[in-house]
Amino acid sequence: MKKTLISLSVTATLLANTAMAQDADAVAFRDAFLAGTATWEDVQARAAEEGAVNLYYWGGSDPINIWMDRVVTPDLAELGVTLNPVRITGTKDAIDLVLAEMGSGRGLGEGSVDAIWLNGENFATLQRQDALFGSFAGMLPNSGNVEWNEEDPRSLLNLRDFGVETNQAEMPWSGEQYVCATNTNRLASEDVPHTFAELLTYLQENPGKFTYVKPPHYVGNTFVQAAVYAHNPDGTGAEPFQSSIEDMGAEELARLIAPGLEYLKELDPYLLGAQSGNALYAEDNAALDGMFLNGEVDIACKFGLYAVATGLNNGTYPEGAEAFVFPEGNMIKNKNYLAIPANAPNPAATLIMVDYMTSVQAQVTKLQFTGMPPGVDPWTLTDEEVQALTDASPGLIGVTQAELDANTAPDTNASLVDVIEATWLEYIERDSTDSIDVIVARAVENLAQ
Amino acid sequence: MPSPRTTELARHRKERMWMWVQLSPVLAVLTVLFGGALVLAVMQSLGFAPWFGVNTFPDFSYFGALWGDWSFWQSLGLTLYYATVSTVIALILGTLLALALVRTFPSKKLYKYLYKLPLMIPYTVGIALAVIMLGNGGMISRIFAFVGLIGDPSEFPQILKTHYGWGIIAVYVWKQTPFVTLTLYAVLLGVGRETEEAAAILGANKRQIFFQVTLPQILPGIVSSTLIIFAFNIGAFEAPFILGGGFPDTLPVVAWRYFNDADYTLQLQGMATVVSIALIASGILYSYLAFYRRYERRIGRN
Repeated sequence: MKKTLISLSVTATLLANTAMAQDADAVAFRDAFLAGTATWEDVQARAAEEGAVNLYYWGGSDPINIWMDRVVTPDLAELGVTLNPVRITGTKDAIDLVLAEMGSGRGLGEGSVDAIWLNGENFATLQRQDALFGSFAGMLPNSGNVEWNEEDPRSLLNLRDFGVETNQAEMPWSGEQYVCATNTNRLASEDVPHTFAELLTYLQENPGKFTYVKPPHYVGNTFVQAAVYAHNPDGTGAEPFQSSIEDMGAEELARLIAPGLEYLKELDPYLLGAQSGNALYAEDNAALDGMFLNGEVDIACKFGLYAVATGLNNGTYPEGAEAFVFPEGNMIKNKNYLAIPANAPNPAATLIMVDYMTSVQAQVTKLQFTGMPPGVDPWTLTDEEVQALTDASPGLIGVTQAELDANTAPDTNASLVDVIEATWLEYIERDSTDSIDVIVARAVENLAQ
Repeated sequence: MPSPRTTELARHRKERMWMWVQLSPVLAVLTVLFGGALVLAVMQSLGFAPWFGVNTFPDFSYFGALWGDWSFWQSLGLTLYYATVSTVIALILGTLLALALVRTFPSKKLYKYLYKLPLMIPYTVGIALAVIMLGNGGMISRIFAFVGLIGDPSEFPQILKTHYGWGIIAVYVWKQTPFVTLTLYAVLLGVGRETEEAAAILGANKRQIFFQVTLPQILPGIVSSTLIIFAFNIGAFEAPFILGGGFPDTLPVVAWRYFNDADYTLQLQGMATVVSIALIASGILYSYLAFYRRYERRIGRN
């Protein structure tokens, strides 16, 4: 209903006004800023005249909302920027709004979304639809807190978002890693599986004690990607999955992902609920946390470097919860970002907001309040700043930073994620009898339309 | 001087004008908001979505792809199953309750407030109650584990999240029984008890009284209340989403999954699903009403 109403208003505006309208001042400002001719004082001067910054972000976490209201809003007020935090249930809603408004001809200075917290497919969508403000990230005063040098391999997480080049059109905000936790009161440390084969063995002995978040939710997609990496028939892990579907081709992708999907199919009858019907997947993080807390499952995997410490702290994880290394060598790591859409109504104030979010001060309080790992790169910071971040961290439980670093893998290219997700839905959920080659080819064809 | 007939006509015309004026606010809302959304939904399901860069109107391939997939028919079956079973159970319980309420019994006043409680509580709360009480890891399973009947809360037999849909049906029945009761109770009060008493004096037994006297009298209430709850049950999303058994989902959940996918072209497929739900629901409701009207005419009501 909401969607239809949005579309209704879109068409109404479409009929009234087909040409893209833009605020000329805002366009001049953008061009000057991106060309590097506008100084930071110019940005501040313009920001003082602009309205409140509409930051759209997933509002499902109380700690994040509290941090936004109690820390970010007053800090930004001191910088002369009013923050309007818009809490949404899914990031895609903000993307829908931006595209709908752009479709109805509202250009820079006239939209309603100033910044979005996003990554992966949502960023790829904005980029594909040419709906981004421009390469702003490197022009901000605090951009020095982030590694942009291509020669340093560690810069990959800032330059590529799910394999899609960021072109500095989004600013890293938080870093995350896919970590699994177990309840040591139920599952002894020596029995904890570290590879997919061990997981299968464990579930054959203890059926139903594991499930994962259901794709197309990104947390579920990530589990599938990790399984695919680990079963890569060439043994090259994540490496081939960095190129786009156009470069790789459907046949090659089908060959690479087939063993991983075969494994997941084999795993399916041992998942939660599969013994009395069909396998139950968690719909989202909250559902998975609930199952883990209730002892329905022994192992829960999600993005959350500090999830165990935070969960124990606020009671969403059971006592005895500990993180562990799984799957060895393929713990997917990525970052999430703040992006500015092409029709941001208050571009200058938004730039100040994003710059603030990249400051060490904001990163430290964010870590303290929410347990979200920093998005800035510690090696670019001073010793005191690194120490402040370390002090703010809720701490790792069950794993060490060295273990996490040693088992890191990059994310999958966004264009492949769509295909792998469609293949999972078809092959695992719908129990299709077609071969993986056929399913992948069909998915690629559908997505190319 | 105009003839009496002309004045009569003028008065008629004036009355009719006045009727339209009175109706116009409601009509405006219905046509603009509801009708507009419906037209757009149909257009999108036929390939009109220039704001995503898709415009192949008119294009029936979205319906073709949807209806050609066996899982759509499975989903439709599940949707109708949950809607029908919960409507029938709510109707039976609601009728019994309404019949009981017209009698006098101690603490009737309190009970008349008590049964309306679920009407005031939102569906989401009912769903949360079902999760807390009936889930694996919910209250009942924990009590069972605590007293040692089962070793672990997760061993409790699965009530929620199965395709039998006991959780969904429980929530619908819990919420809709009072609604049916409220409607039928009002009808029963209006009808009065004289006809029943007359039938009893003439020697009818309880069964005959119910089926031949009471039931025909409350039938309009039954039809209107079941119409409303059945229509709701077909289109409802939250309960099957949270308490359902996963794939195959009910149609509203299928539509939501299409909308929520990062791939934009799937939104049109989602619109086709929504339009299908509307078509099926209105088809069923229309035939139900037509069937009832025919019955009414047969027994001489108009």
